[in-house]
Amino acid sequence: MKVVDTVVIGGGVLGCFVARNLMRWKISVVLLEEKNDVCMGVTKANTAIVYAGYDNQPGSLKAEMTVHGNEVFDTLCKDLEVPFLRRGSLMVGFGPQADKVMQKKFNHGIRNNVPGLRLISGKEACEMEPHLASGVTSALYAPTTGTVNPWQLGIAAYENAIQNGCDVWLKTKVIGIQKTEYGYAVETTKEFIECRAILNCAGLSADKIQELLFPPTVRLILDGSEFLVLDRHTATPEHIIFHESEEAGKGITAVPTVEGNLLLASSKRPMDGEYFSTSSKSMDRLRSIAADILPKVDLNQVIRSFGAVRPNPHWMVEKKGKLVPDGKSIGSFVIENPAPGFYSLIGIKTPGLTCADELGKYLADRTAEYLNALPNRGFNPKRQAIRAVRKMNFETRNSLVMRDPDYGDIVCQCEDISKAEILEAIRRGATSIAGVKYRVGVGMGQCQGSRCSQIISKLLEGARHELL
Amino acid sequence: MNYYEIVIVGAGAAGIAAAKSAYEAGCNSILLIDRKKEMGGILLQCAHRGFGSHLTGVEYTQKLLEQFPEKIQVLLDTTVLSISPDRTVILSGVAIGFRKVSFDQLIMATGCLEITLGSLPVAGTRPEGVYTAGQVQEMVNIYHQLPQGPVVILGSGDLGLIMAKQLVLEGIEVLAMVEKKPKCGGMARNQRCLSEYNIPLICSATVTKVLGEEYLTGVKVYNFHTEEEQVIPCKSLLVAVGLCPDQTLIYGLGTLNWIHLCGNCNVVHPMVDAVILEGQKAGITAWDKIQRGN
Ligand SMILES: Cc1cc2nc3c(=O)[nH]c(=O)nc-3n(C[C@H](O)[C@H](O)[C@H](O)COP(=O)(O)OP(=O)(O)OC[C@H]3O[C@@H](n4cnc5c(N)ncnc54)[C@H](O)[C@@H]3O)c2cc1C
Repeated sequence: MKVVDTVVIGGGVLGCFVARNLMRWKISVVLLEEKNDVCMGVTKANTAIVYAGYDNQPGSLKAEMTVHGNEVFDTLCKDLEVPFLRRGSLMVGFGPQADKVMQKKFNHGIRNNVPGLRLISGKEACEMEPHLASGVTSALYAPTTGTVNPWQLGIAAYENAIQNGCDVWLKTKVIGIQKTEYGYAVETTKEFIECRAILNCAGLSADKIQELLFPPTVRLILDGSEFLVLDRHTATPEHIIFHESEEAGKGITAVPTVEGNLLLASSKRPMDGEYFSTSSKSMDRLRSIAADILPKVDLNQVIRSFGAVRPNPHWMVEKKGKLVPDGKSIGSFVIENPAPGFYSLIGIKTPGLTCADELGKYLADRTAEYLNALPNRGFNPKRQAIRAVRKMNFETRNSLVMRDPDYGDIVCQCEDISKAEILEAIRRGATSIAGVKYRVGVGMGQCQGSRCSQIISKLLEGARHELL
Repeated sequence: MNYYEIVIVGAGAAGIAAAKSAYEAGCNSILLIDRKKEMGGILLQCAHRGFGSHLTGVEYTQKLLEQFPEKIQVLLDTTVLSISPDRTVILSGVAIGFRKVSFDQLIMATGCLEITLGSLPVAGTRPEGVYTAGQVQEMVNIYHQLPQGPVVILGSGDLGLIMAKQLVLEGIEVLAMVEKKPKCGGMARNQRCLSEYNIPLICSATVTKVLGEEYLTGVKVYNFHTEEEQVIPCKSLLVAVGLCPDQTLIYGLGTLNWIHLCGNCNVVHPMVDAVILEGQKAGITAWDKIQRGN
């Protein structure tokens, strides 16, 4: 049996940031993740937006964390060496309903202290963003909205946590939790772990994890949405576009990502089959709306589509002697604390990515208080990214290749990624092609990995042999 | 040397033919580059017969390379990363490192790309076990790895048919070929495998959905005529819906009279003979331009 101060359950972007922030304290931590790598849950399929903070109810924790999280995002990404672009966003409407929503969001934004927010005319919006269709009636411009790659961010926090002493068990599923005199005993598929605090960040299973020990208070009801990714070589808008449709909740989102691809996201729809599955109907809708509002975007350049799963938290209420979800998705962040030393993040949807470090700090600080922990003065917030040849100037790249020819061996031709980068991704924990993709970006180009997967498989296999 | 009269990107059939013809026409300064370790391009992964008269792709390449002029500089294991309007290319390779080469004329012989599942309106999950047909061809013939059966193939063009036949010969069950059009897309000689090996062809149909969380468990096939949908359980899906010229390197460059496209990089050809002719023509045109001082 292992004994630690704190167990973090779940290695999504939230679990990774909780673990990272726990390292600011003298607390021993083990992060448990069921899959063979981190960031393979909700985090792998999201809109990649760092929100400005006008969507949230003034005075709420969510509003406060979003605005503050956004403000410090440059520093965070600098520390973690993760690309972040403040593209600015335009929320655009094409009619009276949307105009009303925009006015309300503007008012919220002002009360939330969102910097630089402006309500502008459709004409001005179209001048700012020539990709927009004519007919925009009004727009809300937020210069601070940005975009970050969610896996890269989560993996950076994960590496930073490890570097500061966090222990990680992958392929370890939590199957039971018991109360002990000392705190809790966590039963896993590997062994029991004795701890004083548990931070439950289990994403789609967060409700079930809490219910391993406590009566149900919140349940997750899932829905989904679809994403289309366009080839990097197509012309895309410069801003993040939120389309506020006349029918509430039916708009789409367009994000020019840090990689330079355009990401189109549909509105939500009921679950359709398996987790992370797309629905044809919703994809067709997404395409047709995108064609209407961004007529110059060439939709023949779609290179990938994928589905997302959204966990919507609902309070449990008693109906006819039975506990059932109340049918209303909770608007605020659900941070449960059913017993001392036990915290759960349940159904953290948008803007969970924006607030990942804020939420991580929040839970870490409370845990430290509970454990009476001392600050860890040796905490190093900086993490080094894998050196990417495509981002280097000619001289740097040239001298690097001279020193290590693996940097000259281009494996992913579409994205210009060398063998050395892939080997480093494997050294840092990638065990699958997806893991390599999430760390260095292979297979994200036009050929979608059809030309390099075999080579990467070989490199992964080689690394496995070396380990044996 | 960092200057060549002619730089050729891609040492497949078109690139080899271009290099040889430019050399024979009189050009002494030719650099032929390929990212693979061997010359031959896509031919190297073609174990089936039908090149030239009845050679395999590998045999055909050997023939092409007989008496290959030594004076033509060949750089293998080297990727061309970009082409600039100032007539330079940037290369990266294990042996040569990272460097810039300038030239007078450029021949693009980069072949084609396969259309992937991602660009099709197919719903569902994105599990392991979905490949392009060419990817499986490379897997089987170069890396000696087989995809897991049973297999469904989307598209009944030549590449789909060739792979269907090869997989069956390797002992893998091909449950169905699914074709959007009312009849098979490939050449008659490739179609023969359907009856020879009892491979079911479902026409006027398409794959609408991919199933399976981590690994593929099946595909949904929709029939346009009957308007019925059926699930075919399978472990691999080969996407063989078409090829498009790989012109990524010249995106955004506009038309420049010193760039010559040939082979599948120009238009996708069904037969290698036409590719060779185009390559030869490109080699001669490039050399002509040099002689005429552009
Ligand atoms: C469609 C969509 C779009 C979004 N877009 C944005 C956006 O643009 N901007 C933004 O700020 N936010 C966005 N979000 C929100 C953000 O993506 C989420 O808040 C965040 O990714 C949630 O991370 P997580 O760590 O809670 O979940 P996950 O990433 O799902 O992580 C949970 C982890 O727990 C593991 N686990 C589960 N059960 C167990 C167990 N028993 N034992 C061990 N491990 C277990 C899982 O394997 C998983 O790895 C979006 C969300 C969705 C759904």
